[in-house]
Amino acid sequence: MTSRQDKTKVLLAQFPLETHSRGAITVAGMLRDSGMEVVYIGNSLPEQIIETAVQEDVDVVGISTLCGGELVLGSRVIELAKEKGIKDKTVFLMGGIFPPEDEPRLKEMGFNAIFIPGAGREEIADAIKDCVTAKRKK
Amino acid sequence: MSEEKATKQILEEVEKKSERIPLYNPEALKRIQESFGKWKNTVVTDRDREGWQVTPHTIIGSEISRNLIYTPLDNSGLDYERDLGFSEGEPYTRGIHANMYRGQTWTQRQLSGAGSPEYVNNRLKFLLSHGATGTNLALDLATVQMFDSDEPEADGMVATVGVPIDCVEDFETIYKDIPIDKVSSSIVTHYPRNTAIVFPMYLVMAERRGYPWDKLPGSVQNDFIMENVVRSACEWIPPKDDFRVQCDNIEFLRKEVPKWNYVTLNGYNLREEGTSGVTEMAVAVANGIAILDEMLRRGYDPDWTVKRLAFFWAPANDFFEEVARMRAVRRLWYRIMRYKYHAKDPRSYWMRCHVQTSGVSLQREEPYTNLMRSAYHALAAVLGGAQSLHVDGYDEAYSVPGEESSLLGLRTQQLIQAETQVTQVVDPLGGSFYVEALTDDIERRILDEVDEIEKLGGLPDAVAKGWLHNKVRNYLLSEQRMIEEGTIKIVGRNYFRDPNAKVPPIVTQAYDKKIRDDMVAKLQRLRGERDNDKVKGCLEAIVKAGKEDDNITYCTLEAARAGATEGEMRRAFTEAFGQWKPPIYG
Repeated sequence: MTSRQDKTKVLLAQFPLETHSRGAITVAGMLRDSGMEVVYIGNSLPEQIIETAVQEDVDVVGISTLCGGELVLGSRVIELAKEKGIKDKTVFLMGGIFPPEDEPRLKEMGFNAIFIPGAGREEIADAIKDCVTAKRKK
Repeated sequence: MSEEKATKQILEEVEKKSERIPLYNPEALKRIQESFGKWKNTVVTDRDREGWQVTPHTIIGSEISRNLIYTPLDNSGLDYERDLGFSEGEPYTRGIHANMYRGQTWTQRQLSGAGSPEYVNNRLKFLLSHGATGTNLALDLATVQMFDSDEPEADGMVATVGVPIDCVEDFETIYKDIPIDKVSSSIVTHYPRNTAIVFPMYLVMAERRGYPWDKLPGSVQNDFIMENVVRSACEWIPPKDDFRVQCDNIEFLRKEVPKWNYVTLNGYNLREEGTSGVTEMAVAVANGIAILDEMLRRGYDPDWTVKRLAFFWAPANDFFEEVARMRAVRRLWYRIMRYKYHAKDPRSYWMRCHVQTSGVSLQREEPYTNLMRSAYHALAAVLGGAQSLHVDGYDEAYSVPGEESSLLGLRTQQLIQAETQVTQVVDPLGGSFYVEALTDDIERRILDEVDEIEKLGGLPDAVAKGWLHNKVRNYLLSEQRMIEEGTIKIVGRNYFRDPNAKVPPIVTQAYDKKIRDDMVAKLQRLRGERDNDKVKGCLEAIVKAGKEDDNITYCTLEAARAGATEGEMRRAFTEAFGQWKPPIYG
């Protein structure tokens, strides 16, 4: 029997106009292989991402972005998470292509981990495990 | 009707009936066989004999195994006239022009980058003044996804990876002072739906500037695989309807803008999403077949239809595979046009193609190494006989190309053209035992996958059933595993990685909120000035044409003339066709 405690539930999404799904599909497959439950909802508004995160009661929200929008829409996601009261119990991740100088900004904003091209299965899965453990301890 | 028989069956029957005249005489082959056996057993080491065949593993590679050496024994049945011939002659393996690059260099087309319509106008003029011979317009995400700049979904995304276009006025700004009857315009519309919506706006701009449409050279993509398989999005229309819009555009463009390349069968983006070089070409060829069949059903002769059909390929790391692939698909396309569609005009046999060097093969680590990667990709494209080329920026894994990296891409092309001298001889690798064996092998593999698609009911059905989505997903996961295991070697990332490697300064564009504000103000002005009743009527006509099977592109043209915006037209399409969910979620 799998209890809520040992199966991590991950919501994967992209911003509304993103055209690329290579990264999101690959990560979804990797995380499923690592024993996590993945809900992939594809392109969605920040409102839809947070609404689904609440409904599905996920541990992790991961966003893949390759075409910009990471700062404007990323901060909107975090804002909405705070409004709905899930920011503290949920891990927020972002991966994809963006300028290096945006990485510290995203962390400051409230994203717990950032992944750039080349991030592999272990790196992502380990980071998720660490972040989830840290959140649950709180 | 030709489509009752599978393409593979038609071509096999032709092969069986035709008499082959082998290049090599049997006696010589017998002697080679004997001495080859002796050599292999005495000179070659046990280790090399056991590992005679190796399979190259590369990003988006085809996993086709290779021998240690190739000899006439690997092409023992080679019939020079049937299999190779001469350039601009059947079966077109060696190229579509007799003098290839001696006559005319390939079109050197670099994507124009991101920014406001005014900025991109300047960027186009910059590239033209540095020797680019055509323009290549990248659209921003809102435009690609058919949203107006003022819709909520466009927040944070306007002008990030291309130029925003909402209406005719934007095209007027982008092409200001550019002679669009002389410089050909590639407009990267990607999908059938945004081709139907955006391209008529370009035509209205040309009309207002006094250019007759039959003088306009250029191309659009218009590929339903891009819209239904490659594209991530909030909403889709069903593949069969999108395929129909693709064909409506073809019919409209072929009649009204005869010099325009109405479809660029886009292998590139499918392959970059995650598939092999073989599947890339099989899907594009199957789409070409589906188009010709549908146009035949609508009463058009294949010779007329095919005239402006072009392909778009992605050369990646496996150098000889890339050269062989271009030669293989050129021969296969000729055979399909000749024997399945009985085309009579020699131009109908031409597999014309634009090529862009592979972006997913480029790495974030030590980005200058990407200059070398792209140069090899570009060289393969030229040795393979491409008609048009874009070389990716070395900063691909960081952002859209900056001015410097974009110029270096153009310089790479100029170097190959003017300094390496590879352009002096047509098909310089033709006749290589290796390249010819690989060309044969790849042609067979492409045809086998075309056959698989036809057995699923043709490409639109194969897509609706999820065949291609599953293929891409499986490919991606296996590729990712091979990278992590180190089976696929990537210099600087998993092979001789330098933990202290420094990232050179890369100029990235920060999001400029003002561009969206300007676009929003322009839209407000437009909606206030235009005849809104007329626009409403035009949008209703789009819905009606969609439901009643009339050519929808004539309706979007009228809507563009009346000042309808892109987002308004997108909603009309969704109303006409309803929504579809691709089989990738869960």
